Amino acid sequence: MLPIKHTLFIVSGVSSFIIFYMGIVNFLTSVEESTGMILLIFSVFVATGTLLGTVHISTSITKPIQKLAKNMSDFSKSNKMSDENQIKTNVKEIFELNENFVSMGEKVEKTITLQNEYVQKLKDMDRKKIEFSSMVSHELKTPLVPILGYVQMLQKENFLGNLNEKQKDAVDEIYASTVKLQRLIGDIMTTQKLDLGKLDFNNEDINVLDLINGVIKEFKPVADAKNIELVTDYDKNTHIFTDKDRLNQVFSNLIKNAIDFVSQNTGKVIIGAIDNLEDIEFYVKDNGPGISSENQKEIFKKFYQIDTSTSRKRSGSGLGLAICKGIVEALGGKIWVDSEENIQTTFYFKIPKKPIKISVNNESKKFEISI
Amino acid sequence: MSKTDKSKNKLKEEVKNLEILIIDDNEQITKMLTTFLELKDHKCTVANDGKEGLALIKENRHDVILLDLAMPEFDGYSVIKNLEENNMLKDHKVIVFTASTITQEELDDLVKRGVTAYILKPIDIDILHSKLVDTANL
Repeated sequence: MLPIKHTLFIVSGVSSFIIFYMGIVNFLTSVEESTGMILLIFSVFVATGTLLGTVHISTSITKPIQKLAKNMSDFSKSNKMSDENQIKTNVKEIFELNENFVSMGEKVEKTITLQNEYVQKLKDMDRKKIEFSSMVSHELKTPLVPILGYVQMLQKENFLGNLNEKQKDAVDEIYASTVKLQRLIGDIMTTQKLDLGKLDFNNEDINVLDLINGVIKEFKPVADAKNIELVTDYDKNTHIFTDKDRLNQVFSNLIKNAIDFVSQNTGKVIIGAIDNLEDIEFYVKDNGPGISSENQKEIFKKFYQIDTSTSRKRSGSGLGLAICKGIVEALGGKIWVDSEENIQTTFYFKIPKKPIKISVNNESKKFEISI
Repeated sequence: MSKTDKSKNKLKEEVKNLEILIIDDNEQITKMLTTFLELKDHKCTVANDGKEGLALIKENRHDVILLDLAMPEFDGYSVIKNLEENNMLKDHKVIVFTASTITQEELDDLVKRGVTAYILKPIDIDILHSKLVDTANL
């Protein structure tokens, strides 16, 4: 790129040279020596004048432009307009250019200040929301303590006195609902913590086979009660380094759903894993009614529940899959579903074998505030 | 001490006559716990705030202390801190219980400092009893 200064100098230099050259030619070819001399002196004056004029014009253009360019680059670095924005110029175009820059800069500065105020406000609201939600969950949990305690005492034989069959049924129903409420509160708290990036994660060496056998053992009684098959097709001794409790939580939610949706007596739930180079792809497959493609897009959203025509009694809070997604992503993995209606549903979740540090996400997540 | 030594080999269900101090500001909870533990043949003393609880800890020996962390003013943390400062925390068997607004790190820290065990609210009374007996038998 060529600076204006150089361009002007070249143009004026060439024209001065031509004027000077013509002066010499005139001088040499003129009949009368004095006329030639006058023309020569004149051409020297004109040539010098042109050069000096160019120097003056070029500095009066380039100086303010250079200053403006510096102001602009300073502004882009600091996002703050300096106090020395006014540049001296007699050139109308440069003056207008500078005026526009100054007014634009002031607007940008104002917008940034306003934005920072909003961010601060959001942060304050966020903090208040955390305080409020932790207070609410504490307040909700506290009365559950005596309710659950007394119900458990009522359920015991020879403790608070024995109940008749109808009373026993009633107490069992109260117990089931209390446990459900307790789980719901727990799920809400987990979701809030995930949203704020405040859930704790451990890293430990996990044997995948032990993990799968563990969850199968945990859910065997539930599966047996419904007379359905709960099996694994995994038999390798692979290790993964991640959070065992959270992984169990994901499995629990998925298996609970699967058992819930398959038919009694003919239902089958398969738990397995695919050992990849960098990660392990776990899956929970069932032969339930399947999930339509429209629903597949929605199921990981909070409080989304599928309305089935069979309108089964569902026990979930509508948060289970959202929690699964949150946990899997926090562990650096990915969760997805594959399903054919009336044939099968498979939930896959991929977890890296070695822990991945992810904290960047949480900061941005902090501002997804819904009121 | 001899009392707990004797019960060491018995089944958990048969452990009786533990002296238990319950420190919680919520009267419904203390009433429920007292009802349950007295029916399990233990002896309960109740303190409704941290200061009263601390005085009772210093007055008498208890087999187990059940301490709520979240209480107004003088809370469970203050009780633990005071015991720590007087070098008394290791002499007592303290089970803290809390709604899980506390992080795992904080819980681990409490255990490291000398708290014997913790229970998260809501409390399953059977788990509570088994922890109580385990703690008393330590």
